[in-house]
Amino acid sequence: MVVTIEEVKHLGWLAKLEMSDAELQRYTTQIEDIVNYLNKLDTIPLEQVEPIMLKKKFSELRKDTPETFEDRVLGTAYMKDGFVKGPRMV
Amino acid sequence: MSLDTLHVEQVVQGIKSREFSIEEYISQIFERIEKVEPKINALVTLNKEEGLNRARRLDKKIREGKQSGPLAGVAFSIKDNICTKGMKTTCASKMLESYVPAYDATVIKRLMTADAIIIGKANLDEFAMGSTTEFSRYGPTRNPWDISRVSGGSSGGSAASVAALECTASLGSDTGGSVRCPASFCSAVGLKPTYGLVSRFGLVSYANSLEQIGPVGRTVSDVVSVLNVIAGSDENDHTTTTNDSKPTYLLKERNGLRVGLVTEFIKGADSAVSKVIYKAVDTLEKQDCNCEEVSLPSVQYALASYYTIATAEASSNLARYDNIRYGFDMNPEGYEWNSYFARARSNFGEEAKRRIIVGSYVLSSGYYGKYYMKAHQARSLLKHEMENLFQRYDVLIGPTMPILPFKIGERIDDPLKMYLVDIDTVVANLTGMPAISVPAGFAESLPVGLQIIADQFAEQTLLDVAYSFEQAAKVQRSPDL
Repeated sequence: MVVTIEEVKHLGWLAKLEMSDAELQRYTTQIEDIVNYLNKLDTIPLEQVEPIMLKKKFSELRKDTPETFEDRVLGTAYMKDGFVKGPRMV
Repeated sequence: MSLDTLHVEQVVQGIKSREFSIEEYISQIFERIEKVEPKINALVTLNKEEGLNRARRLDKKIREGKQSGPLAGVAFSIKDNICTKGMKTTCASKMLESYVPAYDATVIKRLMTADAIIIGKANLDEFAMGSTTEFSRYGPTRNPWDISRVSGGSSGGSAASVAALECTASLGSDTGGSVRCPASFCSAVGLKPTYGLVSRFGLVSYANSLEQIGPVGRTVSDVVSVLNVIAGSDENDHTTTTNDSKPTYLLKERNGLRVGLVTEFIKGADSAVSKVIYKAVDTLEKQDCNCEEVSLPSVQYALASYYTIATAEASSNLARYDNIRYGFDMNPEGYEWNSYFARARSNFGEEAKRRIIVGSYVLSSGYYGKYYMKAHQARSLLKHEMENLFQRYDVLIGPTMPILPFKIGERIDDPLKMYLVDIDTVVANLTGMPAISVPAGFAESLPVGLQIIADQFAEQTLLDVAYSFEQAAKVQRSPDL
């Protein structure tokens, strides 16, 4: 299996990661090595194995009630009129 | 009197009997940190002022005869991916450089109720992704036994700070061996509890289906004392168990257990490591344990299964970091939505980026069945094999790490080579079973850890074996620094 630079670039775009050409080059080779290793999963006869199903009883979830924090909780300095400023949409 | 060498119970007893005050003890801890931290780099944030103030407040409480908690005064370092209210939690990443949580993780709340003291936040590989702490943006934590070597990871700061006497105990997190690996490399005791025994609420998620918060100490007794405080169900983490909402573990020796030495673990280890482990087997046999070699054939698929699941979950978990409400300083003015995110997220470190892309790859349409589903099937196969073995054995053992701590920089350019060292530890995470690393001895003057794995929620058996072994083996813990 060959992992191409285009594939890594596309995945980077989907995952919103900006990468330099040098980074792309390096990651492509490394990711190809890693994916080749993961291909090991293809070598076992797994047809009869069921994926793990959860049988455990889990604890109850807390009540979904709003909570007010005393202190300033937002870590951004970019605010306007009490709202957080983000990048423009278009 | 040297107070920084004391174990958890000794600290608690010394304070209770007024042999020394919490302030004296905590002051000595900070003196020690000042002395050794430039060599080790285990702590990314110090909590000196608040730590000392809390020590004085707790001393006052004790003087007034008020009831104190089970960990009264005990100095902890906390891995910097566990949320601490009002104290930076950076995950050793540029992405969370300025993040100050507005709440405490459940484990922190429990430590605080038990009157423990946080002396600082411990170094880690960025977002706990790594086995050496070299992927931290604060630089690698160095191994106290040989500062040219790695401390292990990702909870390297936790284990190194414990071994270097910068704290008495620590909390780390273990997704694929991140508590046990550095414990092994630094000659400390590190426990990964059964999945669901300890709340993950407030732990910055990397791979939710695999990870647990676990204690690191210098002795099995330390780990038991901490586990008794942090274990138990939590309404904020529905994966915590309801079997026993507040379990308590005892410290006791137990001989005559059935022990399985996993052939695949011991055969895959360097000869220097396996020699120490065979010696550990002799020690256990002298304690009337019945040790036999057993095979766990599916181990050969464990690492591929682990890295598929872990990267898939990581790519999803790390998608939340958009740097809008918290993160680091980057003005959104002048950016368009997509370009802002891509630019901000380029500040993830190398390993985090690599895992996001590998995770996106294995989850891509067309590959999902080939990797992700297969990985879960391999996980299931492994679990069945382990469950069958636990019908015949009380615990399974082997080396925690197949190699000795290596030189800093030796493997950093070859990610696959780095991943391969996790082969013995990922099994416990994939199966949800508890596992502990206990110092077994030294090879070439470097620590070797014995890994003990038990069936789900069989922590008491696991701790019994670990304690009995520790009492017989008497391995040195802290090096001269």
